[in-house]
Amino acid sequence: MKLDNMFKKSQVSAVENRERELKSEVPEGLLRKCNLCKKVILTEDVENGYYICPKCGGYYHMPAMERIRMIADEGSFEEWDAEMRPVNPMRYKGYLDKLKLQQEKTGLREAVVTGKAKIDGSDVVLGVCDGRFLMASMGQNVGEKIARAVEKATEMRLPVVMFACSGGARMQEGIVSLMQMAKTSAALKRHSEAGLLYISVLTDPTTGGVTASFAMLGDIILAEPGALIGFAGPRVIEQTIGQKLPKGFQRSEFLLAHGFLDGIVERKQLRDTLSRILKLHGTQRLSGEKGASDRTAKESVGAGSKSALAGGVSAGVRNRDIAEERYKKDKKRILSEKLSVQAGIKKKRLEAWDRVLKSRKSDRPSGSDYIRALFTDFIEFHGDRYFGDDAAVVGGVARFHGMPVTVIAQEKGKGTKENIAHNFGMPKPEGYRKALRLMKQAEKFCRPVICFVDTPGAFCGIEAEERGQGEAIARNIYEMSALSVPVLSVVVGEGGSGGALALAVSDEVWILENAVYSILSPEGFSSILWKDSSKAKEAAKVMKITAENLYKQHIVEQVFEEPEEFTAENIDVVTEKMDGEMLAFLEKYGALSKEELREHRYRRFRSM
Amino acid sequence: MIKKILIANRGEIAVRIIRACREMGIQTVAVYSEADREALHAKLADEAICIGEAPASESYLSMERIISAAVVSGADAVHPGFGFLSENSRFADLCRQCGIIFVGPPAEVIEKLGNKQEARKTMIAAGVPVVPGTEEALEDCGAAFLAAERIGYPIMIKAALGGGGKGMREVYDPADFEECFKTAQKEAQNGFGDGRMYLERLVKNPRHIEFQILADSYGNVVHLGERDCSIQRNHQKLIEEAPSMVLTEKMRDEMGEAAVKAAKAAGYVNAGTIEFLLDKENHFYFMEMNTRIQVEHPVTEWVTGVDLVKAQIKIAAGEKLEFAQKDIKIQGHAIECRINAENPEKGFRPSPGTIEDLYLPGGKGIRIDTAVYSGYTIPVYYDSMIAKLIVWGKGRKEAIRKMQSALGEVIIEGVDTNVDYQYEILHDQDYLDGNIDVEFIRRFSGG
Repeated sequence: MKLDNMFKKSQVSAVENRERELKSEVPEGLLRKCNLCKKVILTEDVENGYYICPKCGGYYHMPAMERIRMIADEGSFEEWDAEMRPVNPMRYKGYLDKLKLQQEKTGLREAVVTGKAKIDGSDVVLGVCDGRFLMASMGQNVGEKIARAVEKATEMRLPVVMFACSGGARMQEGIVSLMQMAKTSAALKRHSEAGLLYISVLTDPTTGGVTASFAMLGDIILAEPGALIGFAGPRVIEQTIGQKLPKGFQRSEFLLAHGFLDGIVERKQLRDTLSRILKLHGTQRLSGEKGASDRTAKESVGAGSKSALAGGVSAGVRNRDIAEERYKKDKKRILSEKLSVQAGIKKKRLEAWDRVLKSRKSDRPSGSDYIRALFTDFIEFHGDRYFGDDAAVVGGVARFHGMPVTVIAQEKGKGTKENIAHNFGMPKPEGYRKALRLMKQAEKFCRPVICFVDTPGAFCGIEAEERGQGEAIARNIYEMSALSVPVLSVVVGEGGSGGALALAVSDEVWILENAVYSILSPEGFSSILWKDSSKAKEAAKVMKITAENLYKQHIVEQVFEEPEEFTAENIDVVTEKMDGEMLAFLEKYGALSKEELREHRYRRFRSM
Repeated sequence: MIKKILIANRGEIAVRIIRACREMGIQTVAVYSEADREALHAKLADEAICIGEAPASESYLSMERIISAAVVSGADAVHPGFGFLSENSRFADLCRQCGIIFVGPPAEVIEKLGNKQEARKTMIAAGVPVVPGTEEALEDCGAAFLAAERIGYPIMIKAALGGGGKGMREVYDPADFEECFKTAQKEAQNGFGDGRMYLERLVKNPRHIEFQILADSYGNVVHLGERDCSIQRNHQKLIEEAPSMVLTEKMRDEMGEAAVKAAKAAGYVNAGTIEFLLDKENHFYFMEMNTRIQVEHPVTEWVTGVDLVKAQIKIAAGEKLEFAQKDIKIQGHAIECRINAENPEKGFRPSPGTIEDLYLPGGKGIRIDTAVYSGYTIPVYYDSMIAKLIVWGKGRKEAIRKMQSALGEVIIEGVDTNVDYQYEILHDQDYLDGNIDVEFIRRFSGG
């Protein structure tokens, strides 16, 4: 049955209808239209909901004060340099009037708001750009406010958090505007050299001279999802090259994949993420000027250490003596432990090849499993800042018994899909460069570095060579040898040649009972030396690649027993012991000075 | 004066409101989702506006769209019906901001009564009995034990963040208290990471008795007697009747007075319902207040002669109540059965689909509120209630007979319904004897 036009309607005269005055109306500003999904939404929902469309989840630009309200502890923000005298260096016609208009429209004095605030209790210097004000372009006053804020942060030994959003340099101020890029960057360089943390958060859009200066200089660079980030704007690029740009070009996700971001963070999670990062970098630093970072190293690493060395060791010669003495002592300890370890291995005698197979087993715990089992609060950081983010290397900052550490692991993934995503644990140059970047940061913030090695080898392919696989490995070895923080590497699966060594130039190298570490895969070895890759089994034996062999050759300092069937399920059996040893390692090496650490590491490899 | 009302609802209640408006000479605007193009309410109203896609979140729950539709159509008022936005204080507030009358209580009142703890506090302050319990959360077992002594046994221990029976214990004997409290707390701690607990007197097998009230903007509040809604499955009412056979005239007055007091304490305006639990010893306790028209309003209409929807509209238009408490007389007995498109044999699974054939009973003392018709397709997106069958008799016995007869006449082909299930309840000896409480269905289903 169809009911169209079947029912009688109310009889209301047309005149009466026309005479009705409309009483109801939507008050100005109650509703708005989402400019992304075009749906009508309640303005209040937007303002109370992180400036995110409640319908499509799209992000809107946030006024600076709203951003501060969202990020900073209530009432903690103290604005600096609120009043700046407007400048017009080129005497550009109408510019000052335009500024005035912008000021009236936005209630702001300039396109950036700076000051001091607390984020979940951590003191920071905060800078927030406001895109409503001339696209948050950077003129003299914007640059000046940022430079002053950074300088004050350096002076007060506080971290800086900047929310970037900008069209770039402010054209109306000409060359003076260009100089702001240098001014802000230079201030940040000094801040960094003082050992202080700078977190840059990129929001939509961050382009031009701002991208090419303070926005891209963070120790940690985060971005909101989908933000446009680039030097040249997409329209300019399209016009120049006469091509249509692919979808997603210059968006946050594109930048993450290309190694320029540490992470993409949802707006709702930003405050929490910043808080965690700030806490991991210990905002309450020692206030001493010189040598502050030295002391911090000892504070953070060797907490509770009763080291007699903690005091006045400075002379290089004496350092070397002491280091050597320690090293000899270590060897003694190792020898005395050797028997018991051997006994452990003896009880289930396996052929070398069996161990090779075990080290490659697909259900063996992977790098991430160790991170989960041994650390808390892990935050992964991505990218090499040159080319890409390599999923074969997972790295970031975590806590080990409460103390911040940098953790880097080669990751194979589990199951075919993950294996492919992680390239079977075979890092490309960008993987090694990411690892090095994280290690350098560990050095800056005086955190120990702990690496988990598990790779068949560095990736072998055209693009890896194009980007300098050899150079990347060499650079890691070179830089690791002189890192001034304790470095520990644990070979947990396959230790494939240079691909493994690039994460294993450490103060100590440990290995699991059925892990292997070698110059080449047994297959490769037999094919090179015997022209027959099927003799891998024999090669494994000849190559002396098992934990026991390596221990005897003093390539590794410790061997950890494994359960018969070793998977992520029973990883605790190994990590519980490892945990205690790691604690002892950190206590021991944390007590050494930078010079002692370097010397010890130098000796370790010099003697091989 | 209200000349045009937008009905922000669908189904039988939208039809019910449209009919009331027509009788009052008020023009009607229906809103409908894309799934409801053929729905009766959209066809019956003077105007109909499509407000979005089938999921309720995109249509009947979209405040922005409904407000826009009301403004564009020039409606003076919005009637929210029940469910959807009817108890949404923000929606009521938005209507007010746009100069549209919301047929219901003011936003602040909806807000206050929607918050369980606050509603409870309001009632305690007004001297309305509530289930005795702790006002603040407890963590210490010793303190809880003392509180339990004050409240009196049997007692219910509830986790502050509880749900699904986790962190809940019934305690009958003080000797068991400590163990029960500790295990419940442990469960809560493990389940919700929160060990804060509340205690409440356990009201065993109560009846669900609710009082209808009407309040105008001038402080006049009357109650229209009670409804007994004890026949419910998973908190979903199945059969409601008025009056309740257990209330004496004296108790009705006493509970009615409490209901009026509750409404006054909340600053209530428009039609509302105060729900009480009534235990076996005839103690009653305030449970919550519903700030809207109820599904089961027809039984009250029939025994009092008051058209509740019209009364709602008049109150919203600023008129005074046309009657006082003394004018309200309860006459006869009314019963309502909810007819749902669902299959009782398959766990009450909803059964949307096309109604191939439809025959509904009629005659003296029989009322059917529905929005379905022959050939109508029940969409999958909304709830499964398709009709309400209401009967009136001089007494409960006559009403039951009439309901039995009427249910026996209902023919709905094409979808499964609970008509036979209702028919069996209407022949259950306990039901016939009036031996009912909120656990009735559990016993009836043999659970």
